[in-house]
Amino acid sequence: MRFAMVLLVILASACLAGSLIPQGETAAVYSGSYPKPAAGLILALGLDDVFHAWWFAVLAILLCLSLILCNLIRLPALIRRTKDGFSYRACASSAAEPILELGEKPSALFRSLGFFRVEAPEENVVYAARNRLGIWGAWLCHLGMLVLILGFGLGQLTQFDASVYGIPGQTKPIPGTDYAVTIEDFEILLRPDETVDQYTTTLTVSDGGVRTAGGITQVNHPCKLFGMKFYQNSTGWGADFTVEKDGSVLQQEFLCAGELAHVKPVEGLTVFLRAFYPDYAEDDSGMPMTKSSALSNPAYLYMLYYGEELLGMNVLTAGQVITVDDYTISFHDPQPYTLIQVKRDPFEGTAALGGGIILAALLLAFYCPPMEVWAVRDPDRGVWQVFIRSRKAEDRLHRDLLRAAERSEYNVSDH
Amino acid sequence: MFLTIENYLFTAAMAVYLGGTALFFLFAVTKKERHARIAGVLITVGFVFHTLALVVRGIGAGRLPMANQYEFATSFAWGICLCFLVFYYRYRFYALGVFAAPILFLVIGYAAMQSREVRELMPALRSSWLGIHVSAAIIAYGAFGVSCAVSMVFLCRARLLKNKAWESYIPEEEALDRISYRAVSLGFLFLTFVMITGAIWAERAWGSYWSWDPKETWSLITWFIYAAYLHLRMNRGWRGKRAAVFAVVGFACVLFTYVGVNTLLPGLHSYA
Repeated sequence: MRFAMVLLVILASACLAGSLIPQGETAAVYSGSYPKPAAGLILALGLDDVFHAWWFAVLAILLCLSLILCNLIRLPALIRRTKDGFSYRACASSAAEPILELGEKPSALFRSLGFFRVEAPEENVVYAARNRLGIWGAWLCHLGMLVLILGFGLGQLTQFDASVYGIPGQTKPIPGTDYAVTIEDFEILLRPDETVDQYTTTLTVSDGGVRTAGGITQVNHPCKLFGMKFYQNSTGWGADFTVEKDGSVLQQEFLCAGELAHVKPVEGLTVFLRAFYPDYAEDDSGMPMTKSSALSNPAYLYMLYYGEELLGMNVLTAGQVITVDDYTISFHDPQPYTLIQVKRDPFEGTAALGGGIILAALLLAFYCPPMEVWAVRDPDRGVWQVFIRSRKAEDRLHRDLLRAAERSEYNVSDH
Repeated sequence: MFLTIENYLFTAAMAVYLGGTALFFLFAVTKKERHARIAGVLITVGFVFHTLALVVRGIGAGRLPMANQYEFATSFAWGICLCFLVFYYRYRFYALGVFAAPILFLVIGYAAMQSREVRELMPALRSSWLGIHVSAAIIAYGAFGVSCAVSMVFLCRARLLKNKAWESYIPEEEALDRISYRAVSLGFLFLTFVMITGAIWAERAWGSYWSWDPKETWSLITWFIYAAYLHLRMNRGWRGKRAAVFAVVGFACVLFTYVGVNTLLPGLHSYA
């Protein structure tokens, strides 16, 4: 228990660090943003990538071990209590005092409080129990946590995750698999105010041409093909990139904003399409910007490299070209591309099961406290003495029982 | 037109809440029960205005009003008010209002500072999970807010009781502790539900059910804090003052998860 609490505190502290310190940046970023000793500490302790650090995994494993041990230790007592704990015999041996006396057998009264199965274990005795499963709440919650963490951890280790982008008509291999995706169609549905309503990609997946399956993926509506899920992840602009010489096309390919293209006819020459502006304009300081997302005045911000040397950087508007020696480089036919995330996580269901168990267990633990009521007839006085037992809800049961007895026609005397 | 009506209703709710808060303060000073009773009624009336404001905004926007900073802040305040009224009328102790009403006013005041513009939902938010996930968050945060207020009553109880006039208005320590625990239990159950429904939704929208986004991470930190509270209470007998301090710290985390994360730690939930 103490160990588990310490673990929770350390894990919470690790999460705190992981949320406050920028994650996954280069060493230079930390050196630039923090004092030298702090930056050194962040890098040395792996606080630059907390959630993938080996020690974070160790903490998660220790938490799992703690949960397993806790549940193993508690299991025999819980089984014993489930089998024998809810019985009149166990109640009779407790030192409970009667809470009220009734003139009649209180079976109907017990039933009115939800104790539907009223037993008569002995002559002149009635006994009933409710929410017996409630004692398993905390145990099941730990089990759910364990299943959830295992599902998440194993999912992280075994999942397949890749991205594919393209424009309608293109077929791209899914990295790391024998499958290929063909983008059949990509549609951006706009509202009257030009905000995006939905992104829709129609795609076909084939495994080397043997089998083919098609589907539609949208934001919030992934499609599942060949055991993989295809998510509509993102979009952006791209354009056809063409290299010509003397009027003949030597190279043509689709280039997305943010991508590099090697000018194949000229060794060492590279073009980087830094940004695309569908509705180009300049702001007050002369910097390029787009006025809207409508494709009304396209412009391309490019950078031209020879080896690692920057030869030039400029904005090309429609009809403008880059000329290098006898070669003409141009961008044209801009269109949005779709970015599809492809994922397969065999342990997703396990994590979901864990979550479901935790919720059910919390309901049991908080709102289904085990309760027992019994009554014994005093043959001399001819009255039924009523007793209750509930670790978590004795006050409530006491109150409810008194109220129910008062409402009923029982002859009541309160203790 | 809907926005104008919503604006009036929201302003009316805020004004009535302010009146209720002021009267609860007056009650704290004068100990006149009449002030507290009227304050309770005012908060209830404010809740009705507030509910109507949310309904009108929902009708006007054609969706649930839970999609941006203003909408979540006003819903959050509504959740606190709902939980406050449930606990207030269930347990009938006026001191709760003295501590809960300022929290409510603080949150609705924060909402009032946000832009009230109605925007269309971005594709990632166009999901039936929005209503389920955010409604649960509203209840969870509201319950934690009430547990914080009850715990503050607990922590100030001894000092308040130096004035005998408070005696009839503050329950016994054990009762306060139990009420706070009930609020935390409710909040914890709903927070767990929030995290699970959020994970299911994130998987559908972002392709990953857990991304260590700052909002997710801070929800987890809050969950750890309340889990520790429950464990220490059940197994180590941490009740009374220590449990009350835990509940206050837990709610501070809740507030940071909402306000701090949104403003200081941008991530996938930046629109929330």
